[in-house]
Amino acid sequence: MSPDFQPELRAKLKVLAFFTLVASAAFIAGFATLQIRSFGLHGLIPPVYAAQDAPRILSPISIDYPEDGSIFPPGITPPTFLWRDAAGTSWSIDVKFADKSPAIHAVSRGERMHLGAIDPDCVADSNSPPQLTLQQAATWTWVPDAATWAAIQSHSVAGAATMVITGYREGHVAYSQSRVLFTTSKDPVGAPIFYRDVPLMPSAGVNGVVSPLAPTAIHLIHWRLRDITKPESHTVLKDMPTCGNCHSFSGDGKTFGMDIDGPANDKGLYAVVPVQKHMTVQSKDMIHWNPAGQIGTTRVGFMSQVSPDGRYVLSTFAGPSLKLLDSYYVTNFLDYRFLQVFYPTRGILAWYDRTTGLRTPLPGADDSKYVQTDGVWSPDGKYIVFARAEARDPRPPGQVRALHALDENETQIQYDLYRIPFNNGKGGVAEPIVGASGNGMSNNFPKISPDGRWLVFVQCKNGQLMRPDSQLYIIPAQGGVARRLRANTRLMNSWHSFSPNGRWLVFSSKARSPYTQMYLTHIDENGNDSPAILIDNATAANRAVNIPEFVNIPGDGIEDIQVHVADEPTVADAHK
Amino acid sequence: MRPSLSGWVRPIARIAALLTVFLNLRTGLAPAETQCAPPDQMKAQLADKPSAAAYNDLGVWFAGQKQYACAADAFATSLQMEPRQKDLPHIAFMFGVALDFSGDQKEAIGALQEAEQLGYRAINLHVILATALDSAHETKQAENEWRAALEFDPELSSGLDALSNDLLADGDFKGVIAALEQPRLLGQRTPQQSLNLAAAYAGVGNEEKAAGVLRDGLNTSPDSLTLANKLADSLVQLKRPDEALTVLQLAHEQHPDDAQTSTHLATVLALPGSGK
Repeated sequence: MSPDFQPELRAKLKVLAFFTLVASAAFIAGFATLQIRSFGLHGLIPPVYAAQDAPRILSPISIDYPEDGSIFPPGITPPTFLWRDAAGTSWSIDVKFADKSPAIHAVSRGERMHLGAIDPDCVADSNSPPQLTLQQAATWTWVPDAATWAAIQSHSVAGAATMVITGYREGHVAYSQSRVLFTTSKDPVGAPIFYRDVPLMPSAGVNGVVSPLAPTAIHLIHWRLRDITKPESHTVLKDMPTCGNCHSFSGDGKTFGMDIDGPANDKGLYAVVPVQKHMTVQSKDMIHWNPAGQIGTTRVGFMSQVSPDGRYVLSTFAGPSLKLLDSYYVTNFLDYRFLQVFYPTRGILAWYDRTTGLRTPLPGADDSKYVQTDGVWSPDGKYIVFARAEARDPRPPGQVRALHALDENETQIQYDLYRIPFNNGKGGVAEPIVGASGNGMSNNFPKISPDGRWLVFVQCKNGQLMRPDSQLYIIPAQGGVARRLRANTRLMNSWHSFSPNGRWLVFSSKARSPYTQMYLTHIDENGNDSPAILIDNATAANRAVNIPEFVNIPGDGIEDIQVHVADEPTVADAHK
Repeated sequence: MRPSLSGWVRPIARIAALLTVFLNLRTGLAPAETQCAPPDQMKAQLADKPSAAAYNDLGVWFAGQKQYACAADAFATSLQMEPRQKDLPHIAFMFGVALDFSGDQKEAIGALQEAEQLGYRAINLHVILATALDSAHETKQAENEWRAALEFDPELSSGLDALSNDLLADGDFKGVIAALEQPRLLGQRTPQQSLNLAAAYAGVGNEEKAAGVLRDGLNTSPDSLTLANKLADSLVQLKRPDEALTVLQLAHEQHPDDAQTSTHLATVLALPGSGK
């Protein structure tokens, strides 16, 4: 299955072969026809005649990946092409190019789709090993070798490559065919993706309370960095003694922040450290959100975001005197596929200034009548987009417990996206964003493109985070008509992040497996996106990847992160 | 919000009482002593200190022995003894399951519906009840139960098969399309779902889409002669006999002994424009 790099010789051979075939076929067909007419001996039809008698109409093949119109990032490792075909038993793959360069021809005898290796440490009674679905078990695959893929990529930039898959039986009789068009973008991804790599092992404690992960398994959480031009991800952090959560990087890639549960499951720590090849998080790097209980009695630092210049951290905190359970709707399930529902129902936005060590509510987003969350900075740091809804009791009296994701008994909340000036911390008036508010859906998890032009957010029926029905939408950052991204897959589209050049969006989905995977989509200057491109081999087949975020550093910019958190961290007070 | 328990206690107790009489009659008035023989320890406990809990334990034991009529009898006795017992929804469910497994489908439906009204929530309840309702040709009610089961597990293939069967039987083509085109965890449409979805698309006049669904289904399940024949039918409807011929030739090649496909092939071959 190597490409043909000798077009002239190949063309000459094709001409010769064509005339030989025509002459042979004419002779044999005539003889065979005579035989049939004379004796009616259909059983004597020789194979070559069978080729002539092949169906005139080729059955369509179902090409599942890539989708028509896909755009691959330059340099991405060779993808696995996927198709299903009831007719063929072997296949030819022809890739033709709009730039008139010679076509590439390969032959595939067909290799079935298979699952990657599993991590034995992540096998549990509460999960199931990944399995091929009916469709996947019927899928055939082809992976071009590196040279072939490089050739395909180099000739599919100016115009689309057309890949034609033709199915054969008996090695030479064409029965089926389909084609798919794809291109290679001129826009590099240009930055690695930092993400969390987790087991899906919900655990029922002795009291029957389900937790997303048993404390004894927390060390199995890894943080990894992926350069999409490399075949594997690099683990930068693992074996943490405590649980790390939402992370963020400043736009310049120089500052890293991460919510960290303290050793005693204190939900009040936040680490901020400079990004370096070898990073160390120590107690001195920790912010203790709540040493005096003035703003919230617990961390509830949720989706904290480091400002573009790295000076501030914006986060959601519970209102005064509120405890975690008064501010968040949290339900865990033993179904590993969607094992948690988690969203704030109360809270205000506050900003932390690393230069002063002070944490201050953001006027205009600090109204206890509302829950204000998911705050993100504009690229210039001048305004903030956040999600808002009327505050409510996360667990009203008499509420029936939800038994699964999207259970109607979940506390209902629909967020609207708002925009507010940061105004050096003075805030202002929050304005609803047209296209991402007042539509009866929950609009959440906004991300602003690095050029400030676009806003991509998640829309779902209820709440936020890990919602089976979550879909990605794009609107102009000032508001406008929301457009559903074409890249959306059939199940769960969330946790997205723009590349530093703004041309790529990474997001998580469960489209192919309950074990979440990462995908890319290209965003052009008009905000149009392309079908999802899988980032292969991001983790074991029985682990999930989430919270992917582009980091504005070279592909190997972080080698490792060491976390040394003492039992009694020396904290920088973070209250006003 | 579920209704309060009190309103439902009386019906479940009444059903249990009636069933006790019925089961006792069926098993010769003394099931516990003849066919329904509990282990000695339980027998002694029941004789010494009969209680609803003891009968519940007995019901579970009989169910474990696959003596479902005996299990139903035990649960019925328990429900009669203590119609407001603490775990009433679960016991009502167990009672319904035992009835269903023992073959008393009609009574099982009543008991399972009571369990549901009492607030018992589990996917098994909906699956068993829906299956029983389908058997009783109560398709509308069965649809609701399948939908409830699919709320718990949207990937439940048997649920999607059965729900789409029921909706199709009701002529609810849009319902079939909505059920089978919803976001799913993974692409794993069964042949039955492909057939039902295609039938629904054909039902709303979108034969092109129907053919596409059948084609995709056949590409997933190449051995399905039903899919191949339906696809050929659909292609003929679309006036593409050439394509239908291709499909049938391949099916015939793979299954030369299948009479229906042979006949179908001959029929399509006789059509004008089939490229024969």
